[in-house]
Amino acid sequence: MNDKELLPWLEKATLGDESAFQLVYQATHQDVYRTVAFLVYNKQDIEDIVNEVYMRIWRSFHTYDPSRPFRYWLHGIIVRQVQDWKRKAWRRIRLFERNRQMTCEQFEWTDKAILQSETQHELISLIRQLSYKLRVVVILRYFHDYSLEEIAEMLQIPVGTAKSRHHLALKELRKRYSLTGGDVYVH
Amino acid sequence: MSIDKELREELRQAADALHCPPGLYGRVRHSYQHYVNEKRGRSPMKKRILAGIAAAAILIPSAAFAASYLADDIFGSSATIEQHGGTQEDYQVIEEGLQKAKSKLTEDEFKTYMELSKQLVQLKLKITDENGVRHEEKLTEEEQQQLEQLASRLAPYFEKINGTSNP
Repeated sequence: MNDKELLPWLEKATLGDESAFQLVYQATHQDVYRTVAFLVYNKQDIEDIVNEVYMRIWRSFHTYDPSRPFRYWLHGIIVRQVQDWKRKAWRRIRLFERNRQMTCEQFEWTDKAILQSETQHELISLIRQLSYKLRVVVILRYFHDYSLEEIAEMLQIPVGTAKSRHHLALKELRKRYSLTGGDVYVH
Repeated sequence: MSIDKELREELRQAADALHCPPGLYGRVRHSYQHYVNEKRGRSPMKKRILAGIAAAAILIPSAAFAASYLADDIFGSSATIEQHGGTQEDYQVIEEGLQKAKSKLTEDEFKTYMELSKQLVQLKLKITDENGVRHEEKLTEEEQQQLEQLASRLAPYFEKINGTSNP
């Protein structure tokens, strides 16, 4: 099902049609989950945010402009929910603790599958080590294929800032990747 | 391979390895149902409370009506008596008298008593101005006769109501 076909179901779901809700969830949950999981690492937090994202979808659907791609709107919601989550003070305390844990254990993995892929794919672990501001640009650029202009609009930052974060992220990745022995061309 | 291409490939593979836990569906669905309830106005609990309040709002005045003033049957409302120099307290006194009558008289007697009182009061209201002063001259001869008649017809009832000695 493409996104255009999804819209009537979304509307029905927001009006309380539960079978429409199921359909929308089936069509979107992997995308939502994966996007959140790239931005936040704790399993519990990911689930909290995914849940909040869906609440936001129902509540804000009336603000969606049908002339624009649905996924763009959806990813915008995800990014905002993740940022909200980061802003909340009590969570920041937990984050602080987690960061301390992470420096001890190197990394906390969401999935065993990731851990497995980790040993094979060094680059993903480098992406995960980027700061959030840089990482979100990388995810939106290379996972969702958005242009830097679209990314800037979604993150509500100037295009110049998006470009510089993108540049900085690639620079970091190249630097670390060459240190771990990867064979990436340094442009 | 350029880093762009490699990043895409890498993220795609990592995403494929990430699976949304099936348990999350139940949670999102629960929140969704909560949203639907909220959208429909209120949660079931709130609904019940509101229904209770609404029922109380309807029942209380009707209960009050059931125990409404007997005096209202005669005067319409306490406003009538106030327009003729009476007060709320006077109204209460009349009400007490009527309640007493109701308890002392049989149902049929009370009915007649109320009817006669009503006529009497109508006439009396006619001759009483807004300061409570009587002007008997306002009545026609016919009406004056009527008034006397009513008074005499009511007399035995008054005796029965007030005469505690001969029940």
